[in-house]
Amino acid sequence: MIHVDITEAVLDPLAALSHCSSDAHGAADLFVGRVRNINDGRNVTAVSYDLHPQLCRSIFGEICAEAMEQWGQDLHVYLVHRLGRLAVGEASVITAVSSGHRDDSFKACRYLIEQMKVRAPIWKQEHYTDGDSEWIKGHALRNSG
Amino acid sequence: MNRSINVRLFGAFRQSHPESSLTVEIPEQGRVADLRQAMEAALESENARSLLKASAFATDTAVLDDQDPVPEQEVSILPPVCGG
Repeated sequence: MIHVDITEAVLDPLAALSHCSSDAHGAADLFVGRVRNINDGRNVTAVSYDLHPQLCRSIFGEICAEAMEQWGQDLHVYLVHRLGRLAVGEASVITAVSSGHRDDSFKACRYLIEQMKVRAPIWKQEHYTDGDSEWIKGHALRNSG
Repeated sequence: MNRSINVRLFGAFRQSHPESSLTVEIPEQGRVADLRQAMEAALESENARSLLKASAFATDTAVLDDQDPVPEQEVSILPPVCGG
């Protein structure tokens, strides 16, 4: 069972755990990514997230389906990312997985976040205490050239 | 004969082009490589042209290779990603 979304609303870890719940599942893993107050030695006040909504949902779905193929079709899988300007401490992404046993949940949950970071069309612009802002360099999606 | 392609801009491309999209002309049977060439001519800043080299083009459902045909009248240009 897959739930993916992008939203401007505050992320709710309990909603993720509610989705990742089943009487047959003895394990649930939750990952929360949050805005950090420092990056590369610069003091960060906020991060603005830009993303491609349709493609993001499509790729989130692909990543979740891959996790289920690898660790079990009975997994409950959750992947939601924020959009807009977030202050330090706010959650930018939540991934969660439940499964019969803990090993599958741990591995699948990590797979979701690691794949999301290198495949999902999401960009972040950091805002610093000195008033400057900068788009963060990332992973190229270009396949050839 | 050419056709117009509207290219949606994301991430750092918005910094140099706040209008959020650019329209360029490519040959009727043009491929993504042709679109890349047209974008290089259309982008105004050196930073944006440099970013173009590391960027991919995509529809709403898939990332395209340079040899792929341009399938729609609107595509997106995706600079390197960094979610989370």
